[in-house]
Amino acid sequence: MMGNHAVSWGAGLARAEVISAYPITPQTQVVEELSEMCADGRLDARFIKVESEHSAMAACIGASAAGARAFTATSSQGLALMHEMLHWAANGRHPVVMADINRAMGPGWNIWTDQTDSLSQRDTGWVQLYCETNQEVLDTTVMAFQLAETLDLPVMLVLDAFYLSHTSEPVDIPDQEAVDAFLPRRKARYQLDVNDPHSFGALVRPDAYMEMRFQLQEAMGRAEAVWGEVEADWARRFGRRYGAVEGYRLDDAALVLVTSGTITSTARFVVDRLREGGEAVGLVKVKMFRPFPARSLRGLLGGAERVAVLDRNLSPGRGGIFAEELKAALYAGDGFPRPDVYGYVVGLGGRDVTPEVIEGIVKRTWQASGPEREDLWVGLNL
Amino acid sequence: MTQLRFAGLVPEEELLVSGHLACPGCAAPLAMRMVLKGLGQKTIVVMPASCWSIIAGPWPQSSLKVPLYHTAFETGAATASGVRAALDMRGDTETTVIVWAGDGGTFDIGIQALSGAAERNEDIIYVCYDNEAYMNTGIQRSSATPWGAWTTTTPESHPEATPKKDMLAIMAAHRLPYLATATIAYPLDLIEKVHKAHAIHGTRFLHILSPCPPGWKYSDEETIELSRMAVESRVFPLVEVERGDRWRVTLDPSPVTPVEPYLRKQGRFRHLTEQHAAYIQREVDARWEMIQQRVRGGGAAAEWEPAAGIDEPARR
Amino acid sequence: MPETAGRVTPMAVSQTSTLVSRTGSWKYIRPVYQDRLAPCIEACPVGIDIEGYLNLLREGRVEAACDLLLRENPMPAVTGRVCHHPCETGCNRCQLDEGVAIHAIERALGDLILETTPAPVFPAAPASVGVVGSGPAGLACAYHVARLGYHVTIFEAASEPGGMLRLGIPEYRLPRRVLDRQIDWIIAQGVTIECNSRVGEDIPWWSFLSSFDAAFLSTGAHQSKALGAPGEKLGGVESGLAFLRRTNAGERPSVGQRVVVVGGGNTAMDCARTALRLGAEVTVLYRRTRAEMPAIGEEVDEAEREGVQFVFLAAPIRLVSANGRVNAIECQRMRLGDPDASGRRAPVPIPNDRFTQPADTVLSAIGETAELDILPPEIGRQGGSVLTDEYGGTSRAAVFAGGDLADQPRTVADALGAGKRAAIGIDQYLRMIMGRPLEGPPTAELRYGKTGNLSMTRWRRDDPVSRTAPVNDVVRYEELNPRHFTREPRRRDGRLGVLESRGGFGEVNLGLSRDQALEEAQRCFNCGVCNRCDVCLTFCPDVAIRHADGGYAVAMDYCKGCGVCAEECPRGALVMTREGL
Repeated sequence: MMGNHAVSWGAGLARAEVISAYPITPQTQVVEELSEMCADGRLDARFIKVESEHSAMAACIGASAAGARAFTATSSQGLALMHEMLHWAANGRHPVVMADINRAMGPGWNIWTDQTDSLSQRDTGWVQLYCETNQEVLDTTVMAFQLAETLDLPVMLVLDAFYLSHTSEPVDIPDQEAVDAFLPRRKARYQLDVNDPHSFGALVRPDAYMEMRFQLQEAMGRAEAVWGEVEADWARRFGRRYGAVEGYRLDDAALVLVTSGTITSTARFVVDRLREGGEAVGLVKVKMFRPFPARSLRGLLGGAERVAVLDRNLSPGRGGIFAEELKAALYAGDGFPRPDVYGYVVGLGGRDVTPEVIEGIVKRTWQASGPEREDLWVGLNL
Repeated sequence: MTQLRFAGLVPEEELLVSGHLACPGCAAPLAMRMVLKGLGQKTIVVMPASCWSIIAGPWPQSSLKVPLYHTAFETGAATASGVRAALDMRGDTETTVIVWAGDGGTFDIGIQALSGAAERNEDIIYVCYDNEAYMNTGIQRSSATPWGAWTTTTPESHPEATPKKDMLAIMAAHRLPYLATATIAYPLDLIEKVHKAHAIHGTRFLHILSPCPPGWKYSDEETIELSRMAVESRVFPLVEVERGDRWRVTLDPSPVTPVEPYLRKQGRFRHLTEQHAAYIQREVDARWEMIQQRVRGGGAAAEWEPAAGIDEPARR
Repeated sequence: MPETAGRVTPMAVSQTSTLVSRTGSWKYIRPVYQDRLAPCIEACPVGIDIEGYLNLLREGRVEAACDLLLRENPMPAVTGRVCHHPCETGCNRCQLDEGVAIHAIERALGDLILETTPAPVFPAAPASVGVVGSGPAGLACAYHVARLGYHVTIFEAASEPGGMLRLGIPEYRLPRRVLDRQIDWIIAQGVTIECNSRVGEDIPWWSFLSSFDAAFLSTGAHQSKALGAPGEKLGGVESGLAFLRRTNAGERPSVGQRVVVVGGGNTAMDCARTALRLGAEVTVLYRRTRAEMPAIGEEVDEAEREGVQFVFLAAPIRLVSANGRVNAIECQRMRLGDPDASGRRAPVPIPNDRFTQPADTVLSAIGETAELDILPPEIGRQGGSVLTDEYGGTSRAAVFAGGDLADQPRTVADALGAGKRAAIGIDQYLRMIMGRPLEGPPTAELRYGKTGNLSMTRWRRDDPVSRTAPVNDVVRYEELNPRHFTREPRRRDGRLGVLESRGGFGEVNLGLSRDQALEEAQRCFNCGVCNRCDVCLTFCPDVAIRHADGGYAVAMDYCKGCGVCAEECPRGALVMTREGL
């Protein structure tokens, strides 16, 4: 099935109760499939066909505040429009789950895959989980609810436009009963309840705001470990797990590629090919971007001399975002590995990142004596 | 009855408590108090940004004895739609979900979410308490600010130059099951309208005029009198509209008073000349006539019925 | 919801209510409930808590209303017919639509009392009071004195009690049976009346004064002033009072075809309307205009309605006769000059402007004087009136006086008021001589307002109405909030048609039915006295007013002093003050 439908099926299996979404290419199939599931009774949920993404997130927040399991999906401009409410969901500690189909930000209009949309939201307090395959998408969607509701944090799962969203791959669909055993009905800790009335989100003065944000940060701080537990449970039941980060053929790798999303699949292929040719190349896949798995990454990159980060995103004035975050993680304290980090900006606006492109990056990295600039652009035709 | 007595006529339960942060003489807490008296304790309030976000009390206090969700400015009706959906999914058919928004969060920044929810006929009661400007941020104009009024963004040299947005007509065009205007000087009328709204489903809209002593520039104790004068001069008619086309005036002022005394009582109009007042009078008269036409002509439009053979969409 | 035990919650979820925030510190003024006085009470010469009994009627507590009324007024069935009702003129409701029909309501209650209320009897103390004269002043004094627990006897010179009520007021205004029943009801409360007993003649003064521990003199003013015009002694010329005495006793003298009544007061109107009923065409001659007439407005209206003609700005110069009987009056036309001692513009003759008014009978009703020679000489007097203090005390200890013989307006209400004041004075005096002196409230506190009469209820300190911080100030219309009242016309008395009225001596004014009276009582604003309407409580933006102790309490911890409550109070029972902050 296509990635979008994997999302739908994931949300359906997770028994999302309130779904509120606004259509945007290339997300539309997610909500279309969910609409059909609701209409024909396969899914017992309320589907609110809101009039904008901002309202979609507001409705999810409202539903979550009232104790229900809420879900939405969007992309690009829609995600950007939601920005205010993303903060609201996190600061309000609402375990909303959302699928973002990574799509480029306009203008000009561009519907193809690019990570700038989701990464622009990295400061909003959402957990971000990037997916490589449609199976991973389905699995992550269900697990996201478990993670979210354990921590009372909103979770965003991210998949590439078209490469995943519209590409069919084989997906094993777990049994509803088995999923129910993994993920029971939500029981909210804090809820709008006429039998126990409270106000939520009132004015907080400087003397308490920091403590609330600290608690948010603490929850984020536990997210990687909790994700590990969630995946362990999933692995026990369904035999699959992904990790917050994954190392691939890292033994004695002098040069390590760092990727996320579908580029990872291509990178695996390239690593295998280059290894056959004797190159000491490895790969680190970053699944969890927020919280940034700094310690895990430091651990995986300990032996590398050169790290080539492939960023299908851009923070103008800075460069690729994964690269930037990685460098900060490596600089966070004494005694941490300090390989040269080459931040490559690739594939923006859906430009194809082929095996050749990646091989070229590897070659360029071998040949370079230090990154001549922080953002190394690949394949520009100026 | 020749004299007004509320004893025994106003529901006794208080769901608003003292200690809230409204300015002395503010109409907004009165509006909330009366609406909650009409709805009772099984009510959830969704509250986008407005003066009431502060009136409600700072964390960790709340001035309401019902659950309250503070939400972002634009999102009143959208957030409430979500709350309603959640309650429906959890089998709660008794709790009422209301939006409590100011004029800014209704007429301007919140109009998209409101229109969306109204078009979907979401099962919520949307209450707009209207003090005719962005009062919480310091008296800036909104599209609810009446023509000629001073605000900090429409100073006396260039007062508000466009008429108040006709929210009643806009909401009526959504063919809501019920919408009404009310104000705090007529609590029995207001509570009755709340009861009527409470008894039906779908999107119900209540527009409550809420005078503001610092923003309209009058002395605290005259809040009730001003609301009264607004109705008696027909500046703010008290009407009900059902299904968008059945209009009814619920208080026919008698005798009708001219608008000028109402304007003169407010410092925000002190710069108006007699010509301005005359213009306002003409506009008020014209709108009243428009309402009367709708009252006379209402109900003639075809009843909206679901197309034969298709059930009314289920709550999905 | 998880326990947080005082630490900061993970997100902004409330833990307490705003009741911890004492916004009362914001205020610089605060509301105070204060029962004040309605203007009708101050205006009433009897001194009745009118607002009080109207409020009780509004609550449906008719018996309590009657009780409150009877504490001050011994004869509401009478006053409800003949009083000049200054309460109605002072009624604040006049400034909204029309004043409350207090007079008619009082009549309805008075009649109800006579029908249903048994006369209470009071235990008597070992002291007795003697009253001279059974007019309204004497009856009132005796009534109150009996209720205060003393033996009391009235000595009446005439064969029947009532004084001016019986002698001066015609039946079509005050039916005999009503007067009789009213007086009987007073007698039944422990008042003895000895008729045909003229003190000073049948009973010497020394005997009278030594028989009683205190005395009240109320012999009234029954001597008609002479016209002072030549021809006064002609046949067919009679004093109005003498004429009324005869007709009120049942005589139906022939008065000829044309009767002229000289005067502008109630006596003149009574004469005119009586003469009308005897078949004559009646003309009233008055030296000023209608606006200056001292008669009660309705009496003049009724006279006009019945067909009495009025000639204003005319005074008699000479009575002309034929065959020893008057047949015309030569009159002087007058104009109004500057105001005189009465405050009214004085009539000034217009030189050479005269006319002749034909008349078969001339009745003079230009005022009465009191016959003071009949009183003991040591009773101080001045200018034709007995001198009294504010409790009716005279120059002689233990002797009190009041009514038309004292210097006070000559109305039934003022007479009743005087009788009550004297009763208080007598009570003070008797307690003193019995060795049980009573430190009563100062006079200013007994008085209703600044210019009202004294209150028996306040003297006795048994006000059945619970009051909040009562203040003796009268509430003006500007202090009310008339927005809380809808205009409603005053209920109108039923009355006989013109022909039926003129055709006999049956009561013309039929009053209001009991239901109408109760409805009319709803129109009372209840000026100055909280009647638990809940307007203040409902309109408080801070929910700071609640029910307490049968009234209201303001939570000063939360009241911000916005003033909405005081502004909205329909009846000015709430004031804002800086005191106590």
